[in-house]
Amino acid sequence: MKYVIIGNSAAGINAVDAVRSKDKKADITIISNEEFPAYGRPLISYYLSGKIKPEFMNYRDDDFYTSRNIELLLNCEAEKLDVENKKVITSLGKQISYDKLLLATGSVPFIPPIKELASQDNVFTFLTYKESRRLKEKITKKSKVVIAGAGLIGLKAAEGLFGQVAKITVIDLADRVMASVLDKTAASLIQSRIEQNDIDFKLGVSVSEVEGGNSVSRAILSNGESLECDILIIAVGVRPNVKLAKDAGLKVARGIVVDEFMQTSREDIYAAGDCVESLDMLSNENKILALWPNASQQGETAGLNMAAGNKEKAPVAFAMNAISFFGLQLISAGIIGEADKNSIFDIEANKLRRLNIVDDRLVGYVLINDQQRAGIYTALINDKTKLSTLEYDIKAKDIGLSVYPKESRICKIWSKD
Amino acid sequence: MKKIYAFESKCLGCGLCEVHCKTAHSKSKDIIKANKKENITSAIVIEEILQPKAVSYFALQCRHCQKPKCVKACISGAMYKTEDGIVKNNKDKCVACLSCVLVCPYGAVRKSKEGKSVSKCDLCIEVGTPQCVLHCPNDAIKLLDETEAEALK
Repeated sequence: MKYVIIGNSAAGINAVDAVRSKDKKADITIISNEEFPAYGRPLISYYLSGKIKPEFMNYRDDDFYTSRNIELLLNCEAEKLDVENKKVITSLGKQISYDKLLLATGSVPFIPPIKELASQDNVFTFLTYKESRRLKEKITKKSKVVIAGAGLIGLKAAEGLFGQVAKITVIDLADRVMASVLDKTAASLIQSRIEQNDIDFKLGVSVSEVEGGNSVSRAILSNGESLECDILIIAVGVRPNVKLAKDAGLKVARGIVVDEFMQTSREDIYAAGDCVESLDMLSNENKILALWPNASQQGETAGLNMAAGNKEKAPVAFAMNAISFFGLQLISAGIIGEADKNSIFDIEANKLRRLNIVDDRLVGYVLINDQQRAGIYTALINDKTKLSTLEYDIKAKDIGLSVYPKESRICKIWSKD
Repeated sequence: MKKIYAFESKCLGCGLCEVHCKTAHSKSKDIIKANKKENITSAIVIEEILQPKAVSYFALQCRHCQKPKCVKACISGAMYKTEDGIVKNNKDKCVACLSCVLVCPYGAVRKSKEGKSVSKCDLCIEVGTPQCVLHCPNDAIKLLDETEAEALK
């Protein structure tokens, strides 16, 4: 049996682990267009800031590939799938045969139309370790940085650069930071903490044009404003990397379409992670949930099913994030909704607890610097627990396992899972 | 594998388990220094249950799940499951992003006080015996395998 995995991050690595757990002898090849063994992709901002040293970037032990007898092809682009003959054709002209194939191709940065933007040497995206290293080499104490995009990636890039450059300005078309994840109240808490660290925001505008020759020297905003800029980071969002799948005729919507077993429209090809559409259990819609936990769960599911037949269904999915900015810890999950006085239960300087309760069920929450047992809220969303069956009103106090009636609490603690 | 089970009817809420948990995970291994000087977060959560006429307690540690969500959620590879089934956190790799806190359905992983990593039960594998179990004055927490636990449920 020959397994080929395209992609060497959360989904790919967890898939490999799962395949190996079922099949000790199979040939496994990972194809990666990056130059490094698997690394914690969200760590690239920690690397940029210096908080994480290169030796701790690895997602797994140094001997991960050799000890599991996995062939790792780095710097290798999978260019085409020959699905009839079950072959992957790579940039080096090599043809790699497979019995089962996993597409774990992840995301690609979305580059918005900006006049005069080419691949100038001081323009960056912020999705790979390579880009983070290139950025770290390029910056100086005098750099004036413009970041297009105040989402998670843009803000983490800003935090990573803090203290290492002269000026950082973050631009976003939305009226608040992390608009897809946060309501206005929570967003303003995060924004003001970041502003306290001399990072400027210009919201409600976008970068419409850049000036300069081989290097960008100014960024022109949609309101006509002009900013000095010797480092431009494009972080307006990501798109699922579906090119291979699309070209091969697999069913693709916004992401690669898979069933609950992570199988694509072709029997011998599976897909997992940021490149697929997941069913969001809260909205019951197919969405791109480009989240690390989701990718690793889906990867594992795909791997198990590739190796042992379709038995394992992917766990239910919904949006969730845990991230910090300058010591402000944000944890959120589910449908955020709009904040109002009925949903905010604790708010003070730099602290917030907001629960979005609909029809006796918790459907989402936002915690900023709040107490530490958020996973119990996540479980209430995940299990669709009826709040009226619980021991106390979750709005009234901090959450604990004591919220469950004794019988179900004991059941959970004694659970064999 | 063996893990720690709580017996609510026996727990006095005295907090000795926390004291010994901190000591076991301290640099000094000295009970006074560990609890007074070292800034250690206990890997045990003691919960209070308010009843109409009484208060009861239980102590909760990591359940060392068979399919640990924290391991899958971990962005750095710091959280892992050993071959013996123990879920461990490598503090050198942990960046305290709290993805594990986000997904642990038991609320058994917490941010550590120094803010650089998370705190969770490792069954005292470096010390030998779980110190909370050893020092509980009322047998309210026990180290049991699944069969033993089922019998005492």
